[in-house]
Amino acid sequence: MSRPELTGPAAHFYNEKEARKYDSSSRMVGVQREITERAIELLRLDHSQPAYVLDIGCGSGLSGQVLEEKGHFWLGCDVSRDMLLVAQERMHNQANDDDDDEGESDDESMDGESNKQQRKSTGDLMHHDMGTGLPFRPATFDACISISALQWLCYSNAAHQNPRRRLTRFFSSLYTVLKRGGRAVLQFYPETAEQAVLITECATRVGFAGGVVVDYPNSAKAKKHYLVLSFDRNSEQKRKAALKDGLSSAAEEPQSVLVTGASREGAKKAPIRKKKGVKTKEWVVHKKETQRKKGKAVRPDTKYTARRRPTKF
Amino acid sequence: MRLLTHNSLKNNSAAAKGKGFPLKVTVAQIRVDEQDGIDDDDDDDTKIRFIQGILPNIDWPALVAASQAMGIPTLPPTLTEDLAENRVFLVALYHVLMNVHLVQGILTCPVTGREFVVQNEIPNMILEEEECEAVRF
Repeated sequence: MSRPELTGPAAHFYNEKEARKYDSSSRMVGVQREITERAIELLRLDHSQPAYVLDIGCGSGLSGQVLEEKGHFWLGCDVSRDMLLVAQERMHNQANDDDDDEGESDDESMDGESNKQQRKSTGDLMHHDMGTGLPFRPATFDACISISALQWLCYSNAAHQNPRRRLTRFFSSLYTVLKRGGRAVLQFYPETAEQAVLITECATRVGFAGGVVVDYPNSAKAKKHYLVLSFDRNSEQKRKAALKDGLSSAAEEPQSVLVTGASREGAKKAPIRKKKGVKTKEWVVHKKETQRKKGKAVRPDTKYTARRRPTKF
Repeated sequence: MRLLTHNSLKNNSAAAKGKGFPLKVTVAQIRVDEQDGIDDDDDDDTKIRFIQGILPNIDWPALVAASQAMGIPTLPPTLTEDLAENRVFLVALYHVLMNVHLVQGILTCPVTGREFVVQNEIPNMILEEEECEAVRF
């Protein structure tokens, strides 16, 4: 299957015709729904407290609808106006329909709102290009979700578009607009392993903790990548510790900054060279690690690293 | 575009230097949803919990200015603690934040004067590459 990202900018691909097709294909709707449910699961939201969620690349509002069913409020951005118009229609129909659109009786949905016959949408839409940074005040959103959108940042459609720059701009602005203690789960389709690494690298370099969850890793078709980002590397351990102590950790409390050895490696003193002019393997390995942390491309460490060469070349 | 959305929106272009908030609202057309009737407590509870969650982050002066521009003069100029705990006030605030939509209009950056058009309730916040802040990558 050819990748839509290779045909041109997202706004051009998702024109009116494609947008309608996207929204009317029941298989597509089913798949996107599943992905959204999994992403929400990874977000570990407290469904008893309505959250304000940012939906990046919200498209026709499928993911927003799932968020609403769980009782949350959302703001969706998309670069394609045609997709946004389809989303508006969907939200409008949802508010006026007598039957419950969604069909499946999800046990997950908490409040009685989903059984109401007329339900106004709790989502809002915005026409925006995520590669230009998110235009919001700091600490606006409780969480962020993105379904099948992030990979579009990896392709440049004009001479001035640099994927790495756009990704970095996007992630650094995401870091700012998320509340501390918030999480972001972004499902994407990497074309290659390098793309997945590029995306993850750009995310971690701006300060996020986290990584990629891969569902169905053995199936080429079913494989799904979820970039799960959060603010505190130790948040999972703290949660477990808190639960162990019998404290309920339903609400995310502001946590004190924990400075661990892992984040202070840079301050470690470099190993001293044996004698002048000869670099020890330790020093070389340490130097390579530093360069990796800076985000530079570094050859992997093998048994040949820093080996004394037999002949001068 | 709801008032809730407007309260978080800013111009993040390089020229604005981080001060592109709040955006001045110029109204062409507005739509106000019906205020929900006396609903069962469940619904009100959800609304109140949501409002309580976001209230600390709301920029009150910006909200008052924007709501006045959109034809809602009834918000108090300052948010007192009593008001913040008054259930009736919170439900009314929910209505103002969530049910008042700007259908057609213009949002203007207070620092650079850059205009963002709102058409069909959707604001166009797309920046050109040249307008964006420089970023080290």
